[in-house]
Amino acid sequence: MTLTHHLLLGAALFLIGVFGALTRRNIIGILMSIELMFNAANINLAAFNHFLHPEGVLGMTTALFIITVAAAEVVVGLALVLAIYRNCESVYAEDFNLLKG
Amino acid sequence: MTMLEHAYLIALIPLAASFLILFGGKEDPHSPLPFVGIAAIGWCLVESLGILYAAISGAALPYAQDWSWFSFGMTAANRPFVYDMPIGVLIDGPAVFMLVVVTLVSFLVQIYSLSYMHGDARFKRYYAYLSFFTASMLGLVVSSNLLVTFCCWELVGFSSYILIGFWFERSEPAYAAKKAFLTTKLGDLGLYLALLFIFVLVGSFQIPQIAQFVSRGYMSTAAATLIALGILCGAAGKSAQAPLFIWLPDAMEGPTPVSALIHAATMVAAGVYLVARCYFIFTAAPIAMETVAWLGALTAFLAATMAIVCTDIKRVLAFSTVSQLGFMMCALGAWGLTAGLFHLTTHAAFKALLFLCAGSVIHAVHTNDMRQMGGLSKKMPLTFLTTFIGTCAISGIPLLSGWYSKDMILERVYEHDPRLFIILAITATLTAFYMFRLLFLTFLGTERDKDKHAHAHESPWPMTVPLVVLALLSIFAGALLDHHHLFESLVTGPVSPEIPHPAPPWLGWSVTAAVAASIVAAAKLYGGPHFETAQRLKAAWAPLFHLLDRRYYLDDIFLGLVDLGDRAARLAFWIDSEVIDAIFVDGWGAVARLAAKLSHLFDDLCIDRTVDGTGGLSVTVGGALRSLVARGLAQEYLMYAAVGMSVLAALTWFR
Amino acid sequence: MIEAIAFYTFAAVTLIGAFGVVTLRNTIYSALCLGLCLAGVAGIFANLGADFLFASQLLIYVGGIAILIVFAVMLLGRTSDLHLKQVNEQWAAAFLIGAVTWVGLWRAAKIFSHTPLPIPEAAKTTRAIGLLMMGDLAVPFEAISLVLLAALLGAVFFSRKENP
Repeated sequence: MTLTHHLLLGAALFLIGVFGALTRRNIIGILMSIELMFNAANINLAAFNHFLHPEGVLGMTTALFIITVAAAEVVVGLALVLAIYRNCESVYAEDFNLLKG
Repeated sequence: MTMLEHAYLIALIPLAASFLILFGGKEDPHSPLPFVGIAAIGWCLVESLGILYAAISGAALPYAQDWSWFSFGMTAANRPFVYDMPIGVLIDGPAVFMLVVVTLVSFLVQIYSLSYMHGDARFKRYYAYLSFFTASMLGLVVSSNLLVTFCCWELVGFSSYILIGFWFERSEPAYAAKKAFLTTKLGDLGLYLALLFIFVLVGSFQIPQIAQFVSRGYMSTAAATLIALGILCGAAGKSAQAPLFIWLPDAMEGPTPVSALIHAATMVAAGVYLVARCYFIFTAAPIAMETVAWLGALTAFLAATMAIVCTDIKRVLAFSTVSQLGFMMCALGAWGLTAGLFHLTTHAAFKALLFLCAGSVIHAVHTNDMRQMGGLSKKMPLTFLTTFIGTCAISGIPLLSGWYSKDMILERVYEHDPRLFIILAITATLTAFYMFRLLFLTFLGTERDKDKHAHAHESPWPMTVPLVVLALLSIFAGALLDHHHLFESLVTGPVSPEIPHPAPPWLGWSVTAAVAASIVAAAKLYGGPHFETAQRLKAAWAPLFHLLDRRYYLDDIFLGLVDLGDRAARLAFWIDSEVIDAIFVDGWGAVARLAAKLSHLFDDLCIDRTVDGTGGLSVTVGGALRSLVARGLAQEYLMYAAVGMSVLAALTWFR
Repeated sequence: MIEAIAFYTFAAVTLIGAFGVVTLRNTIYSALCLGLCLAGVAGIFANLGADFLFASQLLIYVGGIAILIVFAVMLLGRTSDLHLKQVNEQWAAAFLIGAVTWVGLWRAAKIFSHTPLPIPEAAKTTRAIGLLMMGDLAVPFEAISLVLLAALLGAVFFSRKENP
């Protein structure tokens, strides 16, 4: 198993996440897609650490930080979703067009 | 010596008196204040006589006394120092005689005016002016500082202005005052420049210091000539030398006592006196001396010819004054300081006498025109007698005062230049002629205006007493002053370096003979009841008479010059307003407006359109893009980011 | 060999789960698929020898975030949603973008195709990570704790009732 395999796995996971973020109408779906992208990044970091710098743990530590940030993001995101849902009675992204110019 | 030490008071007392008269009390035809002025000038007269007595009895002359006036810091040759300007009196021989002359004439004139100006609405003010006039002249006489002299000089001019124009309600005196003031100012310009030049050269206005400067030869001949000509310029204006004498005949519009004062003592004597005061500069400049001599001779001759045809009694006297001043100037120019000042002194006596006599006549008949007089000798015997004495004195009848001084001048001038002598001799002959013409026309012959003749009467005592005093002086002053060469011992001038033409002994007597002949001629022409011969002569020489009557057209020439200046100014104004303004101001304005319009158009059409177009394009494109892409959908925005990401990824294909 | 089998297995689980997340119409299924996917990733971590990361992944993601999302879906879910389309109209464009980027990433990843395999050495990474966090990364560690606190407060702030 080479680094390439892991990188391709991360790329596939990331692109699936991107696809989901672009296409899911449900906000929670979008949030979940973003989680997929985070995990793709984590796979890359762990793989780089394992294959390029096996003697150190910095990649894994960075992945841990990302997990933490992702957890915080999900918490705040879900709280926002709840607040939006409470106001708009909708969970669909296309209904929220306050930024329309 | 006491008198000399208080010489400064002579100038200050009349000044104080004039202010006292002017500001004390109300304007009242019967105000007692004029007596203050008479008392003040009487005091001055006593002082002056005291000084004269001191001088005769051997006091050291010149007497100089200086006080500190003001100081100022200045820098010369890069060294700063404090300059002290002194003010002081300088009493020398000429000053002594001038003091006596001025105070005496002024005193007599003021007494005379008591009657002459009696009942005038501005009686009090008249006396204030007279005192001020006298004070100015006395200040000019005694001052040792040329700056103060100049100030007094201008005050004299100012005083003459207010006195000539005393009856300013009529237009002629106002005009005459203006003319006198402006004409003398023309000359003062030269004097002022000369003074500035003196200060630059010498660094002092003190006459003794300037004299020392010149006598040590520090002053170049060219500088001395320039300064002397400048002073002569001022003197010619004040002393009515050609061609600036035009103001003097018009100045006759003033009250007659004022004319006497101006002509005998205060005003016209100032010029001659100033030349005498600065004589050391003139003697250092031969060209200036010659100019003075020839100017004097020319003036004397011109004025005498003009006097012949004049019919106004005061104007005849005015021209005779100009003529006699010419004599004095000529004498000064011919190294005859003593002779010139001697004539100034004697002339003061008989000219004051003649003017006061004329005033007496005018007071009696209320006209200046001699053609309306005649036969007044019976009505006014005292006036006639004094006038006769004055006429004889001015004509140079032997043993009268005029004879001594004129003789001295003629002798001196002959020694200097016989050509000048010939001119002056002819002038002296003419003088006798026109003076006796005046006498005959006024007092002898038949009464031509019965009405005026009937009302004529002898003048009251305040007028006749001065006449008598002056007549006595006219008779004896010359002899007294010539006695033991008194005048010559006190007024010593520099001696001419050479005497090219020693005067022959018959010189004086030949002139006297010519004078006698001209008197006979005058008697022949004007003695009878009718003047056929005179009329015939006048008809035969009409152009010449006209020329003289018009005063050689000098007035017209001056007016023409003024008019020319006026026209030049008008032309300059026209050029300025029509050409310069039109081209450089309006033209530039138009060009600038055009340029501004072009700039505005360019700005409007190009710059603003570009700016607006760019902005509009942005707005349009932005609006289009906004309606296209900005629909407020988060995923759409995310899509753009993803497109960018895919483009970046696609770049790897090409490596 | 065993690693290859494990890798492919976990990779398959991960990708299937991920695919389910983005394609399933029912959101609750998507959330469950997310948990599956995250567990697969945890397996990948374990396969890479990152034991502490593996544990964290399971605890935080699978045990925390996935469950949280399931709760959220249940809170917000409506039955009518099941009959609605859950994918918007730009799915074709998104697919195109994904394909293009995939090709690019594939070319980039190929650089490491010849990376020699490291000697598999079963080492415990927990101690090293702990030392790193308390040593060189102490400041980011403290910062991330503040971030978590802020997120906590933010969540409370946003989810409470507007007018209590």
